[in-house]
Amino acid sequence: MSSFVIEASGLSKSFGQARALAGVDLAVRTGESLAIMGASGSGKTTLLHCLAGITRPDTGTVGFLSGAGRVEVTGLSERERSRLRREAFGFVFQQGLLIPELTAVENVALALMLNGMPRARAEEYGRGWLAALGLAGLEERRIGQLSGGQAQRVAIARAQVTGASVVFADEPTGALDSVTSADVMSALLDSTTGQGRTLVLVTHDPGVAARCSRTVDMRDGRIVGERVAA
Amino acid sequence: MIGRVAWLLARPGTTGMAATALPVAAFTIVTALLLTVLGGAQTFWSWTDEWAVTYQALAVIALVLLVVPLASLGGAAARLSARRRDDRLATLRLLGATPATVSALAVIESAVLAATGAVVGVALYVALVPALALIPFRGEALGVEGVLLGWIPLVAVPLGVVLLAVVSAVLGLRLVVISPLGVRTRQDAPKLHWLRAAVALVVVALGAGLMAVLQVAASAIMILAMLALAFGGALAVQNLVGPWVIRLVAQAQARSARTPAKLLAARTVLESPKAAWRQVSGVAMTSFMAVFAGSGIAVVSSMGEGVPDRESELLLADIRTGILITVIGSFLMVACSVGVNQAAAILDRRDLHEALGKLGMPVSIADAARRRSVMSPLRVTAIGSALTAAVVMLPLTGITLIVAPVSLLVIAAVLAAGIGVVWLGLFATRPLLVRVAAG
Repeated sequence: MSSFVIEASGLSKSFGQARALAGVDLAVRTGESLAIMGASGSGKTTLLHCLAGITRPDTGTVGFLSGAGRVEVTGLSERERSRLRREAFGFVFQQGLLIPELTAVENVALALMLNGMPRARAEEYGRGWLAALGLAGLEERRIGQLSGGQAQRVAIARAQVTGASVVFADEPTGALDSVTSADVMSALLDSTTGQGRTLVLVTHDPGVAARCSRTVDMRDGRIVGERVAA
Repeated sequence: MIGRVAWLLARPGTTGMAATALPVAAFTIVTALLLTVLGGAQTFWSWTDEWAVTYQALAVIALVLLVVPLASLGGAAARLSARRRDDRLATLRLLGATPATVSALAVIESAVLAATGAVVGVALYVALVPALALIPFRGEALGVEGVLLGWIPLVAVPLGVVLLAVVSAVLGLRLVVISPLGVRTRQDAPKLHWLRAAVALVVVALGAGLMAVLQVAASAIMILAMLALAFGGALAVQNLVGPWVIRLVAQAQARSARTPAKLLAARTVLESPKAAWRQVSGVAMTSFMAVFAGSGIAVVSSMGEGVPDRESELLLADIRTGILITVIGSFLMVACSVGVNQAAAILDRRDLHEALGKLGMPVSIADAARRRSVMSPLRVTAIGSALTAAVVMLPLTGITLIVAPVSLLVIAAVLAAGIGVVWLGLFATRPLLVRVAAG
């Protein structure tokens, strides 16, 4: 039985009058791929943001367990949470949200440079990740010169290059066609759970969720169901 | 149908009122400054005595110095209003709207924004008239009658501003019409030809030549025309060669960048050297002005010896006043340019700034990158423009004026003030960046 890497309990969050989370308890196991599903407005993205330390919940706690021990994410300052996200977590967004004026390898290397790694070494690591994700030869292309699927692979490389133990993905295949979506999902799973890392993703797509080891369903800010892949 | 779509697009989007307010504010400032400059200058043309030509000559110099960058700021405002709609218009094109529909939408939107700004600009100018009327020339205040323009310029200037907006919108949206994906994906790498530098060298040489033969000109009108041509030409050259030089410098910086902020800044400049140039082109003018003003004050000082008559004393005082007004006007344009462009740039990249915040990139790094992407081209621009002005002015003023301590002091002070204003413009938009990055 794997240990937990993230433990959340009693998470509640409101935006004005709208209640996004209403007392969510969730534990994420090390090395699993967890899909959070639900209709628009069900609170799944807010839950992902709370787990990743992007948003601070109104009530409840989030704990992150690393080799150095348990970190109480909800108790950290904004600056400390930024550092945690930079060093321990990786992120993949629906639109990639890569920096358009940088080349593919610079986008990946930037994540390492933010942690203080020299540029030459960071780009070397970046090239390695791009090659592993099937993008060898495209390193010097600007993001606008890549297809949607290629850009999303660059985003995956950026999320992985720091050695993040948990990768959070928000609709990572939402803007892709079904074939590209399957390819990107394979790349995402291979580079995370395939390497013993943890993947937490938000998706509308049952096909994407079906490829994860566990799925939780959300409605009105609550977890209303859970399925474990056979 | 076009009217209905234009109305739909005119409603505030995710960027709120800022998307509309920014271009309107820019058009307001352009119109008000243009009318103010014309209002101040018209007094000189009402004089008919022996000194009138001298004052008119000085007014032409000030007008050329102010109108060229004003037109540049106006163009930037027009492009800004068009660019802010680029994405949505490109999407319409992808949805099947014809090029004519997209062009019509661009024209309608830009014209409405420019007209709104221009009308507010006229009101602002009228509100400023009592203050302008207090400015003394030839020993007495200009007076309300002196600076209040007639109805023809009050109608013609706003119409000109609207026309500029429409032309810029059509030119700026050619890319959308030709290739919708061109704008949506930003895949076109900017291209700037070295030919710009060659043309610039020729024009600067011609400008210097004109200055060298100025004293043998046959008439005062001829001197006026030559002065205007040399100054206007030098400023136009800066607009031509500025983006090219900025790109060369940024390329070298991108290669050698060791920190995220330096890399991001250099790549931001390379993404659009023309945009980087536009942000700081007001300082190019200020820098150019600084050399001119420094030389001018040196001329005034040397003329002051042994010239006791009252008219000459008044002329010396008036030249100082004129230089001061021109420098203040140029500072105002710099402040407006940087503030409007920076705020627009942050809003345009709202999603990206928010995503970088989620990734854990500190706002200080994004802010440092933004500062560098403005300040680095600024340094190149300030130095380059000062050198251009020195080359053009050299034959007229002589090297002794350039090396005079007082002129050097004025040059340094004006440049420092200009750079300080740009800093203020950047600083003023930092809270917006912090807010956008926080999501």
